[in-house]
Amino acid sequence: MKDTFILNLVHRPELNPEYAEKTAGGGKGLEDESIDIFKLQQRLAHENGLKTTIQMTYSSLFSQYVVDLAKSDHQKYGDEIGLSLLGLPCRQFNEKYRTKDFCIWMFSLEDRKRIIDDVFGKFFECFGFWPESTGSYYLDAQSIAYIEERYPSVKCAVATCWEEGPKAYHTCNNSWYTLMDGGPWNPWIPSTCNTHVPAKGPEDDSHIVAIPHLSRDLIACFDGNGSNFGTHPQNVLRGMVYEGDQYPYLFNLIDQYRHMGKYNGGYSYNMMFVGPGWLNKKGRWEAPYSLLEKSYSDAMAYYGNLKKEGKLCDMGMSEFASWFRENRLYSSEAFLWKDILYGSEKSHFWYSSPSMRCCLDMNQGGAMIDLRPYESKLVRECGIGTSHVQEVSYPFLIQANYRAGYFTHYAGEGTVKSCTVSYGGVKADMCLCRTKAVLRSEDGQRVLELDPVQFKLGELVADIQSVFYFREGSNEVKTVRKVLRTSIPDAKVCITEYMTACYGTTEYPEPMDGIKLIAGDKTLDYQYKCRTVRAVGCCTAVVPQVECKVSMHASEGDECFVKEGYAFSPMFTLGLVRNAGQGEVFESWLKLEKAN
Amino acid sequence: MAQAGKGKLNYRCPSCFMRDIDIDMFYDEDKKEYYCIRCCYHGSEEDVLQKNQMARFRYKSMLKRFDFDDDGQKERK
Repeated sequence: MKDTFILNLVHRPELNPEYAEKTAGGGKGLEDESIDIFKLQQRLAHENGLKTTIQMTYSSLFSQYVVDLAKSDHQKYGDEIGLSLLGLPCRQFNEKYRTKDFCIWMFSLEDRKRIIDDVFGKFFECFGFWPESTGSYYLDAQSIAYIEERYPSVKCAVATCWEEGPKAYHTCNNSWYTLMDGGPWNPWIPSTCNTHVPAKGPEDDSHIVAIPHLSRDLIACFDGNGSNFGTHPQNVLRGMVYEGDQYPYLFNLIDQYRHMGKYNGGYSYNMMFVGPGWLNKKGRWEAPYSLLEKSYSDAMAYYGNLKKEGKLCDMGMSEFASWFRENRLYSSEAFLWKDILYGSEKSHFWYSSPSMRCCLDMNQGGAMIDLRPYESKLVRECGIGTSHVQEVSYPFLIQANYRAGYFTHYAGEGTVKSCTVSYGGVKADMCLCRTKAVLRSEDGQRVLELDPVQFKLGELVADIQSVFYFREGSNEVKTVRKVLRTSIPDAKVCITEYMTACYGTTEYPEPMDGIKLIAGDKTLDYQYKCRTVRAVGCCTAVVPQVECKVSMHASEGDECFVKEGYAFSPMFTLGLVRNAGQGEVFESWLKLEKAN
Repeated sequence: MAQAGKGKLNYRCPSCFMRDIDIDMFYDEDKKEYYCIRCCYHGSEEDVLQKNQMARFRYKSMLKRFDFDDDGQKERK
């Protein structure tokens, strides 16, 4: 278990590559070129001693040549033969289903089941056994449940593209509908209620292990296009993160993923899955074929050398699923990701558990800039015939880039959880304190300890340190603000721990009607009236739209407040207030619960 | 002029790329320039390449190689 860096390398033979249909060049037809690309990928993997998972596409199941290739590589190299639900379009599919749709989660449930049966049946016809792995860009909970019911051999699935939501949509000039933000960045066991949500235990275990489509940069993809910064050499070229034929960023990315083992019991993981369209002979955008081929070859060599050095374990997807169930199961995952691209020294702490996914930004004093309330276990049916035809993101309560974050202009507020510190009428926000942190595991919890920061509040200087605790199995985050020193010995600063939130999956506002804000024993029904209610005790918001109750509490005697927003600022704020002097600490808890 | 087509390489608009939009440009044979159908960028191949280089301004660590240890990442010498 110790220092196990696992690679899932996945190749899919597509006969009509999604990206290449209009652009593939060369003298031979598209089908031949596509098979050649698949063979090239397989050869480069095998030459470097790596085994792959061959995810057969529907179209490839109609090619005896490709079926024989897969069988041969399975026998010779131990490659797993799985079945992808990507790559559906082909003459046979188009004639049968009379549609250009190709994303499995967007079909009606009835069609999804029909297609799954068709594709799995064809696979069995070709190979004489059922696949143990499958996947798509996104695999919804209903599809997973159906696959598990009908094809229980399936143990593993590619189930989401991390943070490939509105950002990827915008990057493609608002034309690429993989709206699927909000999932874990590393493998997990999905809950039966929602693919993004890690299962709590056997009671909501969907019986598969989900893996993300690529391993992505946890800073660059949070702000930038998710498709530029991942373990996909041609995506790195797409992002123009190279000069000449050099792209050290790709290897830094792989190495930082390897470093995750330090914080997750020795386990770290990479997934690489490059569709053949990314290696077509005409090149991709500015990158000529020679560079596309070189970058893939270099990536294979890098992984291959790690394996030779005993630093990498390559597995098929189903083999990995068995390993994951034995070694990880329902564990949380955490990492402090460092900027390896922009030279900023910025770091983001990411945490994923069955209760929540969140991100804290050290460049903003540890402010929470993303929060997904997995505790709600939100059931969201998707596809044609539902109200979520394309959009399958797990909703946020906080998303600082989509919904403003620390606020920088004069009218409104943005979503973020932070604190303010005030003294003598001067107030400052922790969001403006750039700092760094160390992450450690102790006593069944992750502890994120930030370097102290300094506040200059008129005549007073105060040094304050923040520490965050994430206990395994808990639906709470504990925040500790320590007043280490004040320049005036008896002075007390006023610390206001606050969370400004809303809900949604995109940049656009959602109706806030129906939200209840509760401070102590006082309740406000959200009416955009800009009201504030103060009390003593716990402050809570119940957000029925995402079936979530979110609360903050400290000791029973602390002042708390709830603040309603208004039409130009459709947010709400929960707050806790404490006066603290040198040597004193302010402990508080953020709690997530399901609200029906 | 006749309708525009793609150039010898499929260049994206450098101006849109800098705002995280990948959009293919078209080539105007008469003016010998690429142009964007969304924004107002237009320029020769040389200009596109120059602007692409400029788009990399934010990647200050792009060519660095890091090692990762207990204290974080360190630049490899």
